Amino acid sequence: MSTLSFNNISTEVLSPLNQFEIRDLLSIDALGNLHISITNIGFYLTIGAFFFLVINLLSINYNRLVSNSWSISQESLYATIHSIVTSQINPRNGQIYFPFIYTLFIFILINNLIGMVPYSFASTSHFVVTFALSFTIVLGATILGFQKHGLEFFSLLVPAGCPLALLPLLVLIEFISYLARNISLGLRLAANILSGHMLLHILAGFTYNIMTSGIIFFFLGLIPLAFIIAFSGLELGIAFIQAQVFVVLTSGYIKDALDLH
Amino acid sequence: MPQLVPFYFVNEITFTFVIITLMVYILSKYILPRFVRLFLSRTFISKLSDISKK
Repeated sequence: MSTLSFNNISTEVLSPLNQFEIRDLLSIDALGNLHISITNIGFYLTIGAFFFLVINLLSINYNRLVSNSWSISQESLYATIHSIVTSQINPRNGQIYFPFIYTLFIFILINNLIGMVPYSFASTSHFVVTFALSFTIVLGATILGFQKHGLEFFSLLVPAGCPLALLPLLVLIEFISYLARNISLGLRLAANILSGHMLLHILAGFTYNIMTSGIIFFFLGLIPLAFIIAFSGLELGIAFIQAQVFVVLTSGYIKDALDLH
Repeated sequence: MPQLVPFYFVNEITFTFVIITLMVYILSKYILPRFVRLFLSRTFISKLSDISKK
C-alpha cells in the first residue's frame, strides 16, 4: 500500500493484489527457517475444514432414512461426485479413490466460496497451494501407473497406430504434454480465482469513485454496480465449475494411470 | 505479486497438506461410511417392501 499526499489530502492507492497478501497472525519461530506461523491463509484453510465438519454435523439427521433439507444437500453432493468418479475412472475399481476425490472437491469448493466473502481471503488464488495439489496428484498418478503396469506404463506416451518414423517426435510431444498436466491443473484454478477477484476489486474501486463524485454520479454509478453484482454471480458459478473441473481432470489422470490407452 | 513471495511457501504447503490429510481421514473414516450405510439401508428396505408386496 503506498500513500500519496497532495496539499494535506491523503489518498491511499490500493493495489488489487493487496487482498492476496499473506500476513502473520501469530508468529511461531520454533523451527528456524521453516516459518510455521499461523498466517491468514492457514487460518482460512482451517476455517474451511472446520466449516465443512460443522455442516456435516448439522446434516447428520439422527441417522434417519428420510432426508431433511440439510442432509439432502450432502447426499446430492455425494451423488454428484460419485457419478464423476464412476464415469471418469471406473465403475468398479474407481471407488477406492472416491474419498480422496470427494475431499479434493470439498476443499477446493469451500475455499473458493470463502474467498467470495467480502474482506476474507481467497486461499485457492495462491499458486503454491494449487501447484502443490496438482504436482502431488500427477506424481501420485504416475507412481500408481508404474506400480500397476511397470515399464509398460511408458506406452502411455505412444499414441495408438502412429507411424514408426514419427514415433520419436510424438513420444516427445506426449511427454511434454504429460509434464504440462502438472502446471495446467494448478494454474487453471489459481488463475481463474485470481482474475475474478482482481476484476471485482477493480470494478468496485471504479464504482466507488463514480458514486462518491456527486448526486448525479451516484445514480450513474448504479450501472457498474449492477455489473459488479452480475460478476459476483459469475464468480460463484466459477467457484463451483473450477472445483468440478479440477476433480474431473484428476479422475481422468488416475484413469490414464490405471487403464493406459 | 503476493503469490510469488517465497518466504511463505513452506507455510502454505504445510497447511494445505495437513488440512487435506486430516479431511481425507475424517471423511473416509467417519462421514462417507455413514452415507453408504444410509443408502444401503434404503436399498434393503425397498427390497423388503418389494418382497412383502409379492
